[in-house]
Amino acid sequence: MTTLPLPAAGVPEREMSAAAPRRSRREVREITLIVATALTIVTVGLFNHGFMSTQNLRFMLLNSVVLSLVALGQTLVIATRGIDLSVAPVMGLTAVVTGLLAQSSGLPLVGAVGIAIVLGLLLGTLNGLLVARLAIPPIITTLGTYSLYSGLVFVYSNGTQVDSVPRAYATLGNGFVAPFIPVPIAVVVLAVALLLVWFMLNHTRFGRAILAVGNNDAAAYNAGIGVTGVKVRVYALSGLLAAIAGLMFVCYTGSATVTTGTGDHVELQSIAVALIGGTAIAGGRGNVVGTVLGSLFLSVILTALVFIHVPPIWYSAGEGLMILVTVTAGMRQNRGGAN
Amino acid sequence: MADPSNPGRNEVTARRRNAARLPLDGWERSLLVLLVLLVAGLCLSVDGFYPGFAGFLALTENFLPFGLVALGLTTVILTGGIDLSVGATAGLSAIVMAELWSGLHVSIWLAAVVGLLAGGVLGAVNGLIITRLRTEPLIATLATSFIYASIATALAGPSPPAGFPDAFNLIGTGTLIGPIPLQLVLFSVLALLFTLLLQYSTFGRRIVMVGYSSEAARYSGLRIDRIVLSAYVISGVMSAFAGIVLAAYYSAVRPDMGDVLLLSTITIVVLGGVSIFGGEGTIAGVVIAVLLLGFLRQGMLIAGYSDMVTTMLTGAILLGAIAIKNILSGRGTGLAALLTRIRGRRPATTGSAAE
Amino acid sequence: MSYAAAETAPVAAGHYQATEVTKTFGSVSVLRGVSLTLRPGRIHTMMGENGAGKSTLFKILSGLLRPTTGELRLDGAPVAFSAPHDAHQRGIYLVPQEPALMPELTVAETMFVGQLPTRAGFPRRVDWPGLRRQAQQALSSLGLAIDVGQLARHLSIAQQQQVECAKALLRGCRIILFDEPTSPLTSHEVERLFGIMRRLRDDGCTLGFISHRMDEVLDISDDISVLRDGALVDTVDRSGFDRVRLLSQMVGREMRVIPRRTASFSTGRPMLQVEGLAHAPRFHDVGFTLHEGEVLGLAGLVGAGRTEIAETIFGIRTPDAGHVRLGGDEITGLAPHAIIRRGLVYVPEDRARHGAILPMTITENITSGLLDRLRQRFGLIDRNDEDRTGAAIVTQYRVRCAGIDQPLRQLSGGNQQKVVFGKWMGLQPRVAILDEPTRGVDVGAKDEIYELIEELAKAGLAILVISSEMEELVRLCDRVLSIYEGRIVAEIEGADITPARVGQSYLSRDGLAA
Repeated sequence: MTTLPLPAAGVPEREMSAAAPRRSRREVREITLIVATALTIVTVGLFNHGFMSTQNLRFMLLNSVVLSLVALGQTLVIATRGIDLSVAPVMGLTAVVTGLLAQSSGLPLVGAVGIAIVLGLLLGTLNGLLVARLAIPPIITTLGTYSLYSGLVFVYSNGTQVDSVPRAYATLGNGFVAPFIPVPIAVVVLAVALLLVWFMLNHTRFGRAILAVGNNDAAAYNAGIGVTGVKVRVYALSGLLAAIAGLMFVCYTGSATVTTGTGDHVELQSIAVALIGGTAIAGGRGNVVGTVLGSLFLSVILTALVFIHVPPIWYSAGEGLMILVTVTAGMRQNRGGAN
Repeated sequence: MADPSNPGRNEVTARRRNAARLPLDGWERSLLVLLVLLVAGLCLSVDGFYPGFAGFLALTENFLPFGLVALGLTTVILTGGIDLSVGATAGLSAIVMAELWSGLHVSIWLAAVVGLLAGGVLGAVNGLIITRLRTEPLIATLATSFIYASIATALAGPSPPAGFPDAFNLIGTGTLIGPIPLQLVLFSVLALLFTLLLQYSTFGRRIVMVGYSSEAARYSGLRIDRIVLSAYVISGVMSAFAGIVLAAYYSAVRPDMGDVLLLSTITIVVLGGVSIFGGEGTIAGVVIAVLLLGFLRQGMLIAGYSDMVTTMLTGAILLGAIAIKNILSGRGTGLAALLTRIRGRRPATTGSAAE
Repeated sequence: MSYAAAETAPVAAGHYQATEVTKTFGSVSVLRGVSLTLRPGRIHTMMGENGAGKSTLFKILSGLLRPTTGELRLDGAPVAFSAPHDAHQRGIYLVPQEPALMPELTVAETMFVGQLPTRAGFPRRVDWPGLRRQAQQALSSLGLAIDVGQLARHLSIAQQQQVECAKALLRGCRIILFDEPTSPLTSHEVERLFGIMRRLRDDGCTLGFISHRMDEVLDISDDISVLRDGALVDTVDRSGFDRVRLLSQMVGREMRVIPRRTASFSTGRPMLQVEGLAHAPRFHDVGFTLHEGEVLGLAGLVGAGRTEIAETIFGIRTPDAGHVRLGGDEITGLAPHAIIRRGLVYVPEDRARHGAILPMTITENITSGLLDRLRQRFGLIDRNDEDRTGAAIVTQYRVRCAGIDQPLRQLSGGNQQKVVFGKWMGLQPRVAILDEPTRGVDVGAKDEIYELIEELAKAGLAILVISSEMEELVRLCDRVLSIYEGRIVAEIEGADITPARVGQSYLSRDGLAA
């Protein structure tokens, strides 16, 4: 953004003083997260050099990919003042469907990608239609489809599970871009997804329409924005990203079961990460970079807990505390800015 | 809109309340019809659904813990809030009880009372975070659900206690007065209590006021924080109660035993006609929804469908019911608006009706 | 330019004509065959009581509502809109009283919502520098210096309206309708808005305006149409402006001169004593005594701090300094519930948000303040007692309704306000603070509210009235305190309470211009 000089002539004092620092809040959140992540890495790394090893750093990054993808979609939905609980079973269903097809009939990776895209868009669009067309509150809609889609996973898998995936899949999940470039492909996938979503949200009409709808949907409608269409597409995107996350999950872990996604409460985790990243639950504000940083921070914290020998049972408590601290601190920050 | 030039209808006497104030509103009545049809249909079509009166009643033992949580959750949703920690609270409270009993050799009954109190404390923590830190209920209870789950797992250790005294297990599996399950008696009594509490007491009226408009309630001199806090304490105690009943039913505890409760209970409350935005809803509707979804699930299981298929159906029913409600009330666009137009009513407009 | 000349002049761009427009909601008819024409280069004002149909007419003209029957013609060609956006494209823009805000977007972006400029090329991206430049230019062209980079939520209501005007221009709209913009504004802000409106008019735009304030209407309008009960009573141009005639046309009967209260009750015991009360930065060092049976007015501009003073006395806000005593007992810093119990009640200005719970029934609203006083058994409300209480208040306060179980939102503003009064008076308080007691109340029902207040004062209630309506203060008050920027600047008593004296007193720091 360029800054334009304000016309100074005849400006009443009161109006000038109302000028607020712009965009600072978002940057503050991003810087805070980066600093917190770096501090954690350095602090834990001082006591345990293994923590700072390239290998561990790469692991923590890789470990955050799946959740980051889901949370990107969740961020868009929350920005429209909605919520999407169904991301967990959408992710699980995609993981199971693509994984089983690959395992049993050797589905090529391209086919799996195609299936993930179609499944995600389809299931997400159904959410969107229910929310936007039938005016069912998002939390209720996606609660209902959560049950529906989890049932689908069960029906489809019929008790079987994915134990291994073909080589191409594993490479996508764990491999490097090239032997001489030690960057995991999965991280590149996330980076591309983040770049696309960030560009869309901040530099396209559709992205700005998402925020306009989240700010005030009646006003957005009056200004000629197709509110219904925006909402449908946002839920479709959330479904798509959750489905891609499901595919990445099965590639990364080589396994998928009926409880993939739902068992780890990915729906709640993705909301948590979006909130940590600075997206407001009241809508109208979405920070996708913050979301990915939040997901990375979470991954670092959880790994750090392993390194400092905190029993795994406390991981979710740590996550809960993180949500409380970041959201409450964020609220204080906002209030300070408003005054 | 009243016409100021027409001074008629000035005298109003204390006439009886209109239908909206009767215990059963249109929505509840529709649910009740659906329940009767469903039970009748299942009795006729599913072998073993009605193995005699006692066996039929015993089916309720499988789902009444959901009902207990739903009663507490209704209180919270009526204030316009939500409690995502009900499952974790149920698990943690039951673990507290079991550990007291097996680790410290406290009497199981005393331990159960402490378990209920623990639920109240956990609810109070939720309520305090919401009222003191001004955190959104969704976020606050999401966070505490993670924390409570951790504590429960830590307390439970690798092999959680099991094998409670038979007398205690009767809470989950025993009967009272002939074939009537003790659980059903407990639930009925509590449902009645909650009806009185939420619909006929001053406390309930205050809950509803806060749910409709906490601002207006504040200007009316209500102590909002105290009311909201009590709602979460009630929800915590009821979750703990459900956890203890589940412990008695299985004669065992697990830290994640409450996990199944959350989504199903929200489904029940919403299907029961309680507005997710607060203020509107009745206990009668919630009770009918408990029975409706419970019998459906049991019928499906007996008919040989898996648990997940019934979960699917539950989701479909929730969506279908709310969709129909919205279509009938003329909300939504597309299909809904089309139907409204056919029925000749005004579609939802963005502007208000008149100045 | 005379009215007749305009009538016969060739149709120039910007003639917007409504013919026989009606609007019904269910069985309620809100507009009955209204025909009028807005003309370029003129400000056309709609006057009428609340409920006369002014806002509905503007909503129809701007595409927010569709007329039930009737026709709209723009420069002679029929037009129909399915949404406001359609109207924008035909050059018609509505500036609402409180513009719908997009709090988390920058001012520049809110001005372009729905039609962000993009740069050529693929992918098509939003042209942020261009957007900022255009937004800033549009505001500058109206003589406004609002920083377009700040978030919209930092704007005052006046600034939001100004931004709306610029938005209209950006969208190429030359027909701009203002739906009662001035009521939330201070007089300084009103002047600023009028400056913009005159500039637009002189530029050839077609302007529509709604206001209740006779003085400003006579000041700014070129044409005035009076609506009553959804029908057009008359349209006059400047030569036909006549205050008394317009008022009687609005009300549908001859207006009587506002009678000044003759009896003075300020001899009672001190009931509410306020000393050195402060709540920075809203008000400072406020002190006064309110007596039994006295009606004390607080006059001042919107934003002078009067509501904040009331809310601090009532315990909604915590004071920084000072004391409040009620009948001799210290109540400073107590919470509202404790203050209500001691006999002080507050009827807030914003009925829909603070004063009442509109979806609940009349009875439930009435008893919401006195739940503890209803007969109870084991904490359960005795419904018969509740119904009796509700019915008694409804009868006593002459609430017009279909039954005591009617949801409050179905009642007119005046009747809603009577219910709110009844709710508090049922507690038999010693002191009542009434914040803009006739806001949103029809002219006809205002008299009833005034009579109620007089009766209550006669019965010994100490009443503090906050009002922005001069006639209201003159009619009701034994004493008036003028507030300017959070300080009491004048005290006016008895026969000195005249519209002129009161009106001048709160416009400056020294409190007296007289």
